[in-house]
Amino acid sequence: MSELSLLEQDIAKLIVETLKLKVDPATIQPVAALFGDGLGLDSIDALELALAISQSYGYQLRSNDPEINAIFSSLRTLTKAIEKNRTK
Amino acid sequence: MPDALLIGPYRPDDVLAWEPDGPRTARQFLSDVAQLAESLPDRPTVLNLATSRYEFLVGFAAAILRCQLTLLPQSRAPQTLRRIAGDYPDSYGLADRDETIEGIESVSIQLRGGQAPWPGEIPRVPLNQVVAVAFTSGSTGQPMPNMKTWGALTAVAHATGSRLGIKGGDRAAVVATVPHQHMFGLEASVMLPIMHGLVMHAGRPLFPADIRSVLADLTGQRILVTTPLHLRACVTEGVRFPPVALILSATAPLSHSLAKEAERHFHTEVHEIFGFAEAGSVAERRTIDGDRWRPLDGVRVVQDQTSWMVHAEYLPAPVPVPDRITVDAQGMFVIHGREADQVNVAGHRASLGELNQKLLEIDGVQDGVFFMPEEGADLVTRLMAFVVAPGKTSEEIQRALRTHIDPVFMPRPLICLSSLPRNATGKLSRESVSELARQWLEGQGHGA
Repeated sequence: MSELSLLEQDIAKLIVETLKLKVDPATIQPVAALFGDGLGLDSIDALELALAISQSYGYQLRSNDPEINAIFSSLRTLTKAIEKNRTK
Repeated sequence: MPDALLIGPYRPDDVLAWEPDGPRTARQFLSDVAQLAESLPDRPTVLNLATSRYEFLVGFAAAILRCQLTLLPQSRAPQTLRRIAGDYPDSYGLADRDETIEGIESVSIQLRGGQAPWPGEIPRVPLNQVVAVAFTSGSTGQPMPNMKTWGALTAVAHATGSRLGIKGGDRAAVVATVPHQHMFGLEASVMLPIMHGLVMHAGRPLFPADIRSVLADLTGQRILVTTPLHLRACVTEGVRFPPVALILSATAPLSHSLAKEAERHFHTEVHEIFGFAEAGSVAERRTIDGDRWRPLDGVRVVQDQTSWMVHAEYLPAPVPVPDRITVDAQGMFVIHGREADQVNVAGHRASLGELNQKLLEIDGVQDGVFFMPEEGADLVTRLMAFVVAPGKTSEEIQRALRTHIDPVFMPRPLICLSSLPRNATGKLSRESVSELARQWLEGQGHGA
């Protein structure tokens, strides 16, 4: 298993707490799929998660961003996008 | 046979829809419909899965002109589509440009564009033609069909428009966050604009920042068709939105406090529609004015021996109301809650009894129960489940369950226990499950 960075750990915790998943944040694979077959998240989860990210990091996700699917594809890609766009 | 026009009061060069790359005029629309209608395969039923609201509408109208029935699946989940395709074996799929639908023979909607002549006559559609089938998801994922005639869709559009004071030729633009394959989405974001000569935005903005940018792209009056879920996200996010003339919300009850906040936030009135797939839109209210719902013109809610029924000229038979209601002398009603066994997750209804049945059918599950917690601060309150399945992990049970129920009803979380608190007669009371949920959620709070 690859190690999670500090920000990845924080965001894993945010995902688990926001979406009430019954998994240990430390066990989320950084490159595994978040939606579909991975954690099995859906578009309501995407909305909840986007709101939590906006409130915690000041980064407002846009679904018409051409990169949106790539951003949401794994914990690692999501963390990179937050790192780049965060305002708090 | 009485009939009605395919679209409302548009002049040839009025904008009927906005696509990401620009406007589509009424002239262009009728030409797109005529061209697509010619190229559709000769089949009785079509699964219209177009994600662009404009392409969906072109596909819907083309199918109507070919007397084909449009199937409106509630979700794009492959198992849902396979089931529907199984029930309608002669159907084909309509998909966005250059897209295909897995496991179903499909045609992608190719619109050629270009200048088009205004036809001598706008097509007319018989009121009794069945044009769409809306599916109620049901807890088991086994979709239940509800037939919709052109007469029903146009009557609801006109009754909704007249209640909301929308006049033909207002030229307001309608932006919707709801899918057009959902009954409310079809009625409020497709039929309402095209019957009143309004501009229909083709997109489906999801996040608050999307909603803001779509509204900002449009000029003139804006109408936002949405749900409590999206309204709460917009209000919580706290960004500034362009002025909106009207917000129309449905699919789940909107609280007075959220309606009040949304009215302040968008500088507008928030109105709600009460309806369900079996009957379509039934009644309207401005949420901050109180609890009472006013039936749309032409709709009456009448009690028979066992339950309250919706009557309307366009419904082939009265339809039972799935909620507990009381009706006053003026025919207005108050909703007191769902029938005991019913739950609603993000606008999808299901029966707890059927969900429990599906859970118990999973290999290795000895006992189990779904539970709907009280609504909290979250955008959507999800179901929980408590399961007794020695030797199985909750992940294994989740995986098995996923193939049997609609994904929106998947329990969050699913908790494995050694036994459930059944009483001496083997009954499991709501109170004891509720206590279990409270204990678990509290433990979670301390442990996190």
